[in-house]
Amino acid sequence: MSSSRRSFLVTTGLASAGALLPRSRAWAAPAFREPAADSAPSPASQTEATLAVSRLLADEALAKRAVEVAEKAGATYADARLVLWARERISVRDDHISGVGGGDEYGIGVRVLADGAWGFAASSELNRGSVEALAKKAVAMAQRNGRLRRSPIELAPTPVVTGTWVAPFEIDPFGVPLQDKADMLLGAAQAALRVPGISHVSASLMIVREEKLLITSEGSRTHQVFFRTMPGLTASAVDVRQGRFASRNHEVAPMLAGWEHVMGAKLVDEAPRIAQEALQKLHAATVEPGLKTVILAPSNLWLTIHESIGHSTELDRALGMEANFAGTSFIKPETTGELRIGAERVNFFADRTQAGGLATTAWDDEAVAAQRWPIVKDGILVGWQTTRELAGAIGEKASRGCSYADSYGSIAFQRMPNISLQPGTEGYTTEDLINATDDGVLITGRGSWSIDQQRYNFQFGGQTFWEIKNGRLRRPLRDVAYQANTIEFWSSCDMIGGPGTYRLGGSFSDGKGEPGQVNAVSHGCPPARFKANVLNTGGAK
Amino acid sequence: MTLLSKKKAQAITKAALRAKTVDALAVSITSEESGYLRFSQNQAAATGETERLDVSVTATTGERSATVTGAYVDDAGLRALVGRAEALAKLAPNNPENMPPVAAQTYLAVDEEDAKTAKMGAEERFEMTRKLLRVANKARLDAAGMVSHRHRAAVIANSAGLFAYHPSTSVSLSMTCRTRDGTGSGWGAAMEHQLAAIDPAAVAERAAEKAELSKDPEPVEPGAYTVILEPQAVAELLSFLGWALDRRSADEGRSAFAKPGGGTQIGEALFHPSITLRSDPSAPDHPSSPFAGDGQALPKTTWIDRGVLKTLSTSRFWAAKSGVAAVPQPRSLILGGTSKTDDELIQGVDEGILVTRFWYNRMLQPQSILATGLTRDGTFQIKGGKISKSIKNLRYNESPLTMLKNVLALGTPKRVALDGQTVVVPTMVVGGFTFSSLSDAV
Repeated sequence: MSSSRRSFLVTTGLASAGALLPRSRAWAAPAFREPAADSAPSPASQTEATLAVSRLLADEALAKRAVEVAEKAGATYADARLVLWARERISVRDDHISGVGGGDEYGIGVRVLADGAWGFAASSELNRGSVEALAKKAVAMAQRNGRLRRSPIELAPTPVVTGTWVAPFEIDPFGVPLQDKADMLLGAAQAALRVPGISHVSASLMIVREEKLLITSEGSRTHQVFFRTMPGLTASAVDVRQGRFASRNHEVAPMLAGWEHVMGAKLVDEAPRIAQEALQKLHAATVEPGLKTVILAPSNLWLTIHESIGHSTELDRALGMEANFAGTSFIKPETTGELRIGAERVNFFADRTQAGGLATTAWDDEAVAAQRWPIVKDGILVGWQTTRELAGAIGEKASRGCSYADSYGSIAFQRMPNISLQPGTEGYTTEDLINATDDGVLITGRGSWSIDQQRYNFQFGGQTFWEIKNGRLRRPLRDVAYQANTIEFWSSCDMIGGPGTYRLGGSFSDGKGEPGQVNAVSHGCPPARFKANVLNTGGAK
Repeated sequence: MTLLSKKKAQAITKAALRAKTVDALAVSITSEESGYLRFSQNQAAATGETERLDVSVTATTGERSATVTGAYVDDAGLRALVGRAEALAKLAPNNPENMPPVAAQTYLAVDEEDAKTAKMGAEERFEMTRKLLRVANKARLDAAGMVSHRHRAAVIANSAGLFAYHPSTSVSLSMTCRTRDGTGSGWGAAMEHQLAAIDPAAVAERAAEKAELSKDPEPVEPGAYTVILEPQAVAELLSFLGWALDRRSADEGRSAFAKPGGGTQIGEALFHPSITLRSDPSAPDHPSSPFAGDGQALPKTTWIDRGVLKTLSTSRFWAAKSGVAAVPQPRSLILGGTSKTDDELIQGVDEGILVTRFWYNRMLQPQSILATGLTRDGTFQIKGGKISKSIKNLRYNESPLTMLKNVLALGTPKRVALDGQTVVVPTMVVGGFTFSSLSDAV
């Protein structure tokens, strides 16, 4: 234990408090800490070998045929995506496997622009007759919809590209024997269950492989593969007499990575600590509500960034295109360059280039190259998430490359890139933030979350909560949630950790659109300090 | 591709079951044709049609089991899928909670397939959207929304002799109208299994009226209020209760229905005597699937009878282990009401808040089913039995248990627009409902 870490621990009895600090997170491999680059990471060394055996190549002619037929039928633009998803999931409950499953999803989606309107048709049936019918159907639908347009959809130009890319990975997670995966999860569950007082443990592993081949009528062709992995572990402790229980999740983030990321999470080694922290939470003191200083660890703050900054800077939302479901935005496009969203130290970058980032890619679903650009600079709104359809609405000449569809059966539209809070220049450690706080709460991990449809008022929970008094962690707390308004919250940010404290968090299930689609996205951030209303969510019992 | 017929479904499942080399095999198939038209900024945004045929095979050998999914292409592909499921099952570790396949069942007679809805296409979507937009344009409101429909066949068969086929249709539309000054927002929606039961103009009028009425909202103090929850709001809170109506988590002390010291609260009068919550796959106007995902028959079930907790869903494993009957999780929820109109309910409230719907609802504390979320698209103050003004949206921190306990009055049950379940609930007047903060969101 380093001396700087010892300095904020009140008693050595709180041994696990040290584990709250990001620096002890063994699974955050160094590559994920790097600030994002300006272009996509170098493809995996296995790229050529991986793509050479792709089953999509056999259907490439069908994708080309679909684009041809669409153009002949009157499309001014057309793209065809062959998309293959492979998924595998194993879950363990206590001493047994509770589920083993997997599967493929494969088909073709044809998107066309005709008479200034979109049309889309998709099928899991892949033959010449079927894809020709899809293309014609999509064009007919678009032409009909053209009569319900007030102005035609226009696409910002983009260079024609031909390229292949496999997201960097070391070990193909689908190549790891099922028995090894099961043994690891069972081992972790057993290790947690051995801690007296733990009543239930669940452990799970989800691995996915997304492969897509995109052909556009402009002549672009991209072929890409993505591996994403998500290990998980939850320990629950029940106090039957008091009718109360507490659960604690491992804070490991899902990543754009192979099996090496799952091994790095060290589920078996970490399980006893997770279990201890569930017990600690069960017997923790209940929080006293009020306006407080909160220090949010990266494992908690990433989701607050996602909800308050990520969704509010989606241009389609701000324009009203999501008004009926996800909502609109408190930010108006015309305030770009002027609106103060946070304190001067608050800087956000959007990127699709961060190594390990779930939204990282080489090209988006419109063949636009991945890039990195500022969203908030010195606290002021400066940028938006766009697609080729949206760029013109804010006077930009090119798309930011945020087009994505979650399967062959879904139409591509604007989805969130990785959006990350930049580290502070002072080089603060988490200890520095704690030491500088007289009275506050340290919050780590992801709890419940809820935010309104314009992204003003939010309320978040967490996994662990520590009372801070006079610069030291005093005792664990429970029943904590913090509530704030987006601009007030980011304006209250008065300390941000340095580059060494920067970590990625992320989710496989960012929902948006009608019919609903999901997107995988990461958010990087250091720990940071804010003012927020702390609530007690203990409820009636 | 056309929707999978019963005959073809029998042929496919037979072919899969013939390929079985392990103890037990279950096959489920979903055939679906769906379409939508999405609009925003008072114009068409995107439209699409997707057809898919997905097969899922669960192989079991001893206590080992695995499920593999894929698209159906031909019988050779199907046999390959069976082979993969069997190979995975042999590798899968023992699961002592594994259950044998469900034996052949008798199902309630349900007709959820409407011919007109099944035939819906681009033209019907276009016409419905035009009707919706006409109302918004006339009222000079910004409109966004979606018209969607699907025709689906769900199939389950297994090596214990079970075969189940359920065709269904669904059509839904929803629309948000916003005032051009950005201070008012209203919402309307409808979801039915038959096209004829949908009235697009009525949905649009409702969204438009709420938008105009909700202009220039004023703040109120957060706190405990009498609330009038429209059916959509009731259903959103009720969905949290659905998760808690589970016997195992109650037996294990992990749920709101655990008795302190052990056991469940079945038989206890936990709710207001006016509350009766049922499931009925054969409900005349609101049919739903007669079987669960594993083929178990979904019976008519009473979960809460005049305030008394009667039934908790129980998995087959938990039922066998605890010596009680298995009760599958429902696909429909029907909360009884009265014949009172919403206007009559409002007239009966001296002071309160009317909620159109809730948004971003999340569980905070499973034990008390404490949840949070925000009001949206039409929140009004009621004074002296009338809507007195539009108020800012509020965040609630409250439990559906409160909603079912503090009942002051119930309205007429209506089908709400929720995916995945058929939910029919009345408008509810509830006392002592807690709002914790204000939101500027419109």
